[in-house]
Amino acid sequence: MTPSGAGAKEAPKYTKKDFESDQDVRWCPGCGDYAILSAIQKTMPDLGIPKEDIVFISGIGCSSRFPYYMNTYGFHTIHGRAPAIATGLRVARPELKIFVVTGDGDGLSIGGNHMLHVLRRNVNLTILLFNNRIYGLTKGQYSPTSELGKVTKSTPVGSADRPINPLAFALGCGATFVARTVDRNIPHMDEMLKRAAKHKGTGFVEILQNCNVYNDLAWNVIYDRESKVQHELRLEHGKPLLFGPPDDRRALIMEGVTPKVVRAKDVPESALWVHDEKNVNAAKLLADLFAPDFPIPVGVLTAVDAPVYEDLMLEQEQKAISERGPGDIAKLLTSGDTWKIS
Amino acid sequence: MTAELPLVVLNIQRAGPSTGMPTKTEQADLMQALYGRNSEAPVIVLAPATPGDCFYIAYEAVRLAAKYMVPVIVLSDGFLANGSEPWLIPDATKLPPIEIAFRTEREGFFPYLRDPATLARPWVRPGTPGLEHRIGGIEKQDVTGNISYDPENHDHMVRTRAEKVRRVAQEIPPTSINGPATGDLLVVGWGGTYGAITAAVEQAQTAGKSVASVHLRHLNPLPPDLGHILREYRKVLVPEINSGQLVRVLRAEYLVDAVGFNRVRGLPLASEEIHEAINQLLGSKP
Repeated sequence: MTPSGAGAKEAPKYTKKDFESDQDVRWCPGCGDYAILSAIQKTMPDLGIPKEDIVFISGIGCSSRFPYYMNTYGFHTIHGRAPAIATGLRVARPELKIFVVTGDGDGLSIGGNHMLHVLRRNVNLTILLFNNRIYGLTKGQYSPTSELGKVTKSTPVGSADRPINPLAFALGCGATFVARTVDRNIPHMDEMLKRAAKHKGTGFVEILQNCNVYNDLAWNVIYDRESKVQHELRLEHGKPLLFGPPDDRRALIMEGVTPKVVRAKDVPESALWVHDEKNVNAAKLLADLFAPDFPIPVGVLTAVDAPVYEDLMLEQEQKAISERGPGDIAKLLTSGDTWKIS
Repeated sequence: MTAELPLVVLNIQRAGPSTGMPTKTEQADLMQALYGRNSEAPVIVLAPATPGDCFYIAYEAVRLAAKYMVPVIVLSDGFLANGSEPWLIPDATKLPPIEIAFRTEREGFFPYLRDPATLARPWVRPGTPGLEHRIGGIEKQDVTGNISYDPENHDHMVRTRAEKVRRVAQEIPPTSINGPATGDLLVVGWGGTYGAITAAVEQAQTAGKSVASVHLRHLNPLPPDLGHILREYRKVLVPEINSGQLVRVLRAEYLVDAVGFNRVRGLPLASEEIHEAINQLLGSKP
């Protein structure tokens, strides 16, 4: 048993097909979830983990039907509580590789509290949050990531709730790996999934996902070819934060403690903001940036090392056993305030 | 419920609703334990009778949850939780075994294939090669465990989940009766009122009354011999620290004209007041 990471067993040579279950996929035609499912099934063989050691745990919502379509172990649990159940499984069975699949409603509304705690504890599991900015399964009510003023069935004159930013939330909770990817960019999804899955601790990935029925093109700013060229900021560790079309490259720089967009050619190379995944404070600044005033960061915002929850738990357990010996129910029952009647 | 996995819930009841009167005792969560879920979702419900009995009830809860693959709710209460009594420490080697058999055999495996005696489905630990499967809250087709909206399957599964819990009755030992096996009055109790009821009944017996008592540790399913026992007495009295919950169950289940003795003050029942209730019901002066 290896406390952090998958078992030492060697995995057979798998193909994508080995991870497809025999269940009919019941998402709406055209849903972004199909692309994510395909990307995850395609990524699985590359992880080199025997499929019996892989578990997908979800809450409730469209995204949460995910486990039924993976030919691994899976548990479609209760609304918002996937992180709690996944934490329990991880502590009990640290040799398993656990994925939590959730959405903006499941993970940030009813499950917001659980999300907070799994992130701060840094449990070794991978969280995939499909963000479509709407409750799709219940047919189109505003979600915690819906924009202010959003008109939906449950907000007929516009939402009065300010939206939450999943990346900023995760970083605020002390997440040790935070990334963003897009359902329409399969190679990038693939790369982010692999990195998150290999991270030691909680790997949090926000996947911008299209709900073509109830919130179509909510992320058009990064789908539309021209807009994407203007706004997408690919984060690469050690590279300057540059974006925009080749003939109009722009750069992010820091003015005091405030990010600012400038023309790349107007600033010396030494003034450029170089992306550093180890810098959590920089990641927090990046997390808040979005179009139209700023670029949209995609990629790994941060990836840092921190103690892993179940490692600490198991250490405590081992220490207790080595100091006091293995558990003995008879000894326990006769300890403390006991006496004999003759 | 739908996952059909073992789970033990310990509810140490206190005066409610909501925060109510913290640390004060009550027995008002019986209906919640029996019925307080969406749809029809019966679970095993147990209740310890004394502080020392809490050990055996917890042990029994784990054993039944694992054997029948079903949640168990243990209803303790503030009086039991804060109470104490001399307790004979059991010989750990003589406790009944809790047998847990994780399925590893691939041949003929289905996630909802049932044990013919208990109707329990197989318990598979993630990490077992070749038995990868999915469970979850959506209704499952029996045997295969595939998602199913088939009306007949749902009807079958509702009945199967209920039958599984009903079969736990085969685990319940014969009900022990404190007093004559037939007579004028039977006092039926559950939970932390055991001491007060027993004292009141013995007091009445000493006074020559034809009174007996039984104390239920299994509240769902009820002991299989209970219906027969209830009919052996002219009257049935059910003292509870609620406004009448077990009494309703007994009336509904056995069509007996049981009456309640109910005080909901956040305090344990006193043997004296139960004794008075016995005398009143028997129409005799104390």
